[in-house]
Amino acid sequence: MAVSVASHGHAHDDHGGHDDIIYQETRDMRLMGFVLFLVSDVVLFSSYIFAYIYLRNSIQPTWPPIVNGHQLPRLDTAFAAFNSVVLFGSGVTMHYALENWKHANKRGFNLFMWLTIFLGLGFLGGQGYEYAHAQIGGWNGNIFGASFFTLTGMHGIHVFLGVCFLFALWIQTRLGVYTQDKFFGLTAGTLYWHFVDVIWVVLFFLFYLW
Amino acid sequence: MDLATIEKVVAFIGALIVFAFALVGLKGEWHKNGLDDNVTKVLLGLMAFGCVLVVLACFGVLPKGGGA
Repeated sequence: MAVSVASHGHAHDDHGGHDDIIYQETRDMRLMGFVLFLVSDVVLFSSYIFAYIYLRNSIQPTWPPIVNGHQLPRLDTAFAAFNSVVLFGSGVTMHYALENWKHANKRGFNLFMWLTIFLGLGFLGGQGYEYAHAQIGGWNGNIFGASFFTLTGMHGIHVFLGVCFLFALWIQTRLGVYTQDKFFGLTAGTLYWHFVDVIWVVLFFLFYLW
Repeated sequence: MDLATIEKVVAFIGALIVFAFALVGLKGEWHKNGLDDNVTKVLLGLMAFGCVLVVLACFGVLPKGGGA
């Protein structure tokens, strides 16, 4: 109703206000939709995580499991800690990218946005290194390998898509899609990137520290 | 100094820096009440918790029995 009241019988001045109301109303709906999407992703990861916990606790008496008569080694915790900091650092840089955008500091925004993208790519590179050097068998060799490659692989796909997402957002900022007041895409990108970081907190604990 | 030690030192220093900036970001968000702000608060807090896990891993507190 507020929309129709605002749009009646006024000239140019009211168009801005009308657009603002439309934007605010659709922004709230889009934000709710995006948060629900993140919740659905939490459910997806949770199902795999609980399957891993079940397998680890119920089926295998020792962990890492014994395969062909000898126990598999633990994963490289030192490297994982380093790689985790790379990803967590990217979460912080993304947060500050958005803050710089809100404060109309485009130079700061570009700097932090690119730092985020590079750190995300760095994390993916580290994950590739980990895959090449993990001595836990392949994806279909044993429960440990299957769980590790499935969950971290799924997370890696999310990180890759996140990097593409951030790059697309950066292009949109260059094209003038967002203003200082209307930047829902950047908010969604930041939330998604934080979400990817937090999923890694859980995976880091489960596979490297537990 | 072997590679694992270097990785732990870098991870430890990085975790402290990220933790500090995450807390500063969290403090900045604290007075905001939008849905996105509240989700950001939760996610930044969990990220700071991740940094604590990294520090514990660097000192060998976790995993129990020491990592690889």
